[in-house]
Amino acid sequence: MKQTLVTGNEAAAWGARLVRPNYIPTFPITPQTECIETLARWSADGELPGTYFDRMESEHSVMSAAVGAAAVGARVFTASSSQGLLLMHEVLYIAAGMRLPIVMATISRGLSAPVTLWSDHNDFLDQRDSGWLMFHAENNQEVLDMMLQAYRIAEDPRVLLPAMVNMDGYVLSFTDEPITIPSPEMVEEFLPEYNPDHTIAKGRPVTVGPPVLDEYTIFRAQNHVAARNALEVMEEVMDDFDRIFDRRYHLVDEFMLDDAELVLVTQGSMSTTAKAAIMEMREEEGIKVGLLRLRVIRPWPAKAIAEALKGAKAVAVIDRNLAPGRGGIMFPEIVETLYHLDRRPLVSSFVVGLGGNPQTEHKVKEITRKLIDDLETGRPRVEWNDL
Amino acid sequence: MQQFKTLKDLPEQDYFTGGSSACAGCGPSMGLKLALKVLGPETIIVNASGCMTLLPLYPNTPLKASWIHNAIENASSTAAGARHGLDMLGNKDMNVVVYAGDGATYDIGLASLSAVAAKNERIIYICYNNQSFGNTGFQWSTATPYGSETKTTPRGKNNPTGTTAVNKDMVKIMGAHRVYAATASLAYPVDFLNKLSRAKERDGFSYIELLGACTAGWNYDPRLTIRISKLAVRCGMWPMYEIENGILTLNKDFSELKPIDEFLKLQGRYRALPQDGVDRLQVLINEHWAELKEYNGQRYV
Repeated sequence: MKQTLVTGNEAAAWGARLVRPNYIPTFPITPQTECIETLARWSADGELPGTYFDRMESEHSVMSAAVGAAAVGARVFTASSSQGLLLMHEVLYIAAGMRLPIVMATISRGLSAPVTLWSDHNDFLDQRDSGWLMFHAENNQEVLDMMLQAYRIAEDPRVLLPAMVNMDGYVLSFTDEPITIPSPEMVEEFLPEYNPDHTIAKGRPVTVGPPVLDEYTIFRAQNHVAARNALEVMEEVMDDFDRIFDRRYHLVDEFMLDDAELVLVTQGSMSTTAKAAIMEMREEEGIKVGLLRLRVIRPWPAKAIAEALKGAKAVAVIDRNLAPGRGGIMFPEIVETLYHLDRRPLVSSFVVGLGGNPQTEHKVKEITRKLIDDLETGRPRVEWNDL
Repeated sequence: MQQFKTLKDLPEQDYFTGGSSACAGCGPSMGLKLALKVLGPETIIVNASGCMTLLPLYPNTPLKASWIHNAIENASSTAAGARHGLDMLGNKDMNVVVYAGDGATYDIGLASLSAVAAKNERIIYICYNNQSFGNTGFQWSTATPYGSETKTTPRGKNNPTGTTAVNKDMVKIMGAHRVYAATASLAYPVDFLNKLSRAKERDGFSYIELLGACTAGWNYDPRLTIRISKLAVRCGMWPMYEIENGILTLNKDFSELKPIDEFLKLQGRYRALPQDGVDRLQVLINEHWAELKEYNGQRYV
């Protein structure tokens, strides 16, 4: 175990190194490139024994090669971002349908056009119906920890689905944060060798990816069941993670919710800023505000979310993404999740931080004050906070 | 290296058995059946979406080897991943073989094929060329020869020629990647299997392009698959050659080509090609043949 300063990209690379993958296919894209460059350097220096580091000609080929390797039973890691993630989109569904537990770090960046290098979550959330397990980290320690957990959850025989671990571009990918890097022995105890029995092996011919007729629905239903199973597996895995590494995670991250009347629902790195603003508002203004951070996006932990929000009077869903013609992507998901509560809170929608537009404490306080107004008028709002 | 001299030398064991859903007289199916005789059961066939994708239909398969179908444009990359996965897990002796159509090879999958060939990955790539996007019902690809009618290049008042583009010289392109590149024909199975046998022993990438006569698309009597495959070679539509380290070797040399009309007249896709179209096609074939004769035994790419 060692304490060190690393960027989010390096934290993902450390995660990959510690899980001992057999194969890492790669393609560069800002802001992800540093992650694969780190792995390339380690590979060249002989620090990744048992791993073949590969370079493809496109992200589509990266995910295709990942599928090929996983189909013969290899443990696979890769990373991507933005346009690259969209180029992979077709093969993401295929990887999930084939039940191949590939793990990918995704580094969120807004989508073209116009071009931006900065972060928002449209690239990541565009994959939300692909069948992948989807995790979103708040800081660099969580990036590494989620990587380890993602492999354990993805490879569980009750799940067998691919998983992506998301971090915000620049804010995490290029920012040094102090993290604890666990020892290889601890990771080996947590994550054993991957020995699948459904993949191609010598003496075991398998047909992967054939056409089906009426059975299509059965296979899709199995994907759904596996993804739902993952929720239970996640709780077991997080307990075990706590036992070995002494860091506690839950399906959702609850911050100062015990007596909170107002709750901000966030995703990713802006949660840290929001938490600081919440502490100030509580201390200086006595506002009973708390935060719920979504860290598992798929499968959707509906029960945990409803439980965490059932005491709130008003909720602000802060979306760093946009579905044009619809609004924030997570807003309707939260509303649907709360619909069956006996006493439903007021739910307002705020679209913020597109293309890296900075999310300051000031903006978080502004949203909180608007939420107080909404509670007085009794009418929720749908608003862009940055315009 | 396994060498075959006559048809009698071909292994009796079959790994492509009954229950295939392919057309009677399907050239690409015959090609895979022959190939598996050399490759054996410890082979992963990586297929690109196309006619052959329908060979296995859940829960049945006519194949006694492994099979991965990913999508149409990514068979090469999928194969590269499978190759490295097998190597890292200690299964270096299993074969990874791509079996993909010309649309998946010349067109939508060219980028991934080119990169994997440039890296000289230990993969055998067999392109079964039926000169079209066959599985969707015979549409134009960049492998479609000049003058062929397809569903997306139909003959009409404004275009009596059908396909006006000249097909890509894919074998030359692959030869330029400094890998082993060769053509093959179902009419010369011994040659095909010897080329495969050679590819299997190579520590790198091999590209074999098999003319996959298509009874449905080319519109001919299914009995004629082998005769048409032979005429394609004799008429210079499908010359038999190989390129290794940039050096060209013509495998079947003829003092004189048969006129292309002998190949065309058996197939519905050329039936209404006007004489000036036939003449133009003959010129293109003669030019290619002359080029191959000129460079035979020499550096070609």
